[in-house]
Amino acid sequence: MILKIEKIGLSLEVEDELLNKLLEIGKTHYPKEFGGFLIGYYSEDNKHLHITDKILPKKYQASKYNFVRSTKGIENELAEFYAENLRKIYIGEWHTHPDNSPKPSVTDISAINTIINSKKTSIANPVLLIIGYSKTTADFGFYVWFENKLYKYE
Amino acid sequence: MDKNKHLDSVISTHQITKEEILFDKYVKKKNEVKEALEEQYGSNIYTPFNSGSYAKNTAINTKFDFDLVTPFKRNAFGSNGTLKEMYEDVYDFLYEKYKDVAVVKKQKVSIGLEFYADSDGDVIKIDVVPGRELSQDQYKEDENLNLYVYYKYGNIDAGSERIKTNVKAQINNIKDRATTEKDSIRKIIRLLKVWKNSKYNYPTKSFFLELITIKSFDSKCITGSIWDKLETVLEYIRDNVTKEDFTLKDPGNSSNDLADTLTSTEKQQLSDDMKNMLDRIEDNDENLKTYFPENSKFKKEDTNNNQYGKNSGMPIPPPKLIFG
Repeated sequence: MILKIEKIGLSLEVEDELLNKLLEIGKTHYPKEFGGFLIGYYSEDNKHLHITDKILPKKYQASKYNFVRSTKGIENELAEFYAENLRKIYIGEWHTHPDNSPKPSVTDISAINTIINSKKTSIANPVLLIIGYSKTTADFGFYVWFENKLYKYE
Repeated sequence: MDKNKHLDSVISTHQITKEEILFDKYVKKKNEVKEALEEQYGSNIYTPFNSGSYAKNTAINTKFDFDLVTPFKRNAFGSNGTLKEMYEDVYDFLYEKYKDVAVVKKQKVSIGLEFYADSDGDVIKIDVVPGRELSQDQYKEDENLNLYVYYKYGNIDAGSERIKTNVKAQINNIKDRATTEKDSIRKIIRLLKVWKNSKYNYPTKSFFLELITIKSFDSKCITGSIWDKLETVLEYIRDNVTKEDFTLKDPGNSSNDLADTLTSTEKQQLSDDMKNMLDRIEDNDENLKTYFPENSKFKKEDTNNNQYGKNSGMPIPPPKLIFG
């Protein structure tokens, strides 16, 4: 699917297959939250983002309302994506909200700020995917941090 | 929010040049009608000319305004010919010529031509305004014309079926200004038209908004940024339009008072609307966007030069992140 933010003119593309896979993985951790790293690449004009892959954390802690992940053990995977012809990179994070809506919490926004303030991360506009789901429904919310504000892709 | 940046974007996204293809269609159609009138009436008319907002450089691209003034010679319909005969004759001619391709209708001082949508779905509207010089050869001297008022819409005093006007004087009312002031006045007029067009069937005429903008520039020193100027004009309208002695003289005929085109209730509504608008923008700058929206059709190419931030090297995620 292709999503846009008309107001700032940025768009992203993600395969349904990848989204369904993330939902499926998330559900296996029910009722706890779960998440991980999003991988992709920007178009040449830097106005479009293609999310192509994910990396799952090796170390994490989770509860129904909390998810803490570490980067330990994912270094090789990151390097392999970067070594590909398209030079895929870390572009953001995803996590689930079991039995809840895909709206970012204060903790989520704080996490985004940690990303943009991290010198080694060097991405100015991290993307956040939240998957809100219940037994019968699933809702995907994509957000990007742009000029000190969180925008939702529609 | 940067109010001036937004207002600049409102003006630029409503620029008539943005609708170049549609605008060209208008010009082509206007020229066709002009040539048909010249062919039909030959030496009985002076050259028809465009007097709409495009001629005054205050047009916006969401509503084109093409008025084709057709100045007839005094004896075009005989020395005893009436203005009504002139109006009816032009209507009959346009009806016969365009009845299969357009809706032809009688309007207050003009005959409206609304051409059926073309293959692109575009509808071209042109108003033909027949006028007659007051006496033989006088038009060449002062360009005054008498217009026929079609009664169905007229609220002119009983017995009167004419309006004296000078369309060239109306056009020059803005054109004759100093360059910088002219530019500011045109911008404010365009913004007020954008506001008016965002409302359905608002009673205030565009011509009224043009004249009141000019009058406010005449009445007080209007300087500063585009928002400062707009705010001053909105305040002027709010504070003055309901005053009993408030007049808006038509530069084409000083005995026409545009203030009379609104009832006292409509004047109060206009004043209240200005007050509410100013109050709500004072409360929150963002409300400016509600009253003065950008033309979304052209917004993207104008404002979106945004890009995702570029990376140098391989981004490493922060070692620990907490989500909730």
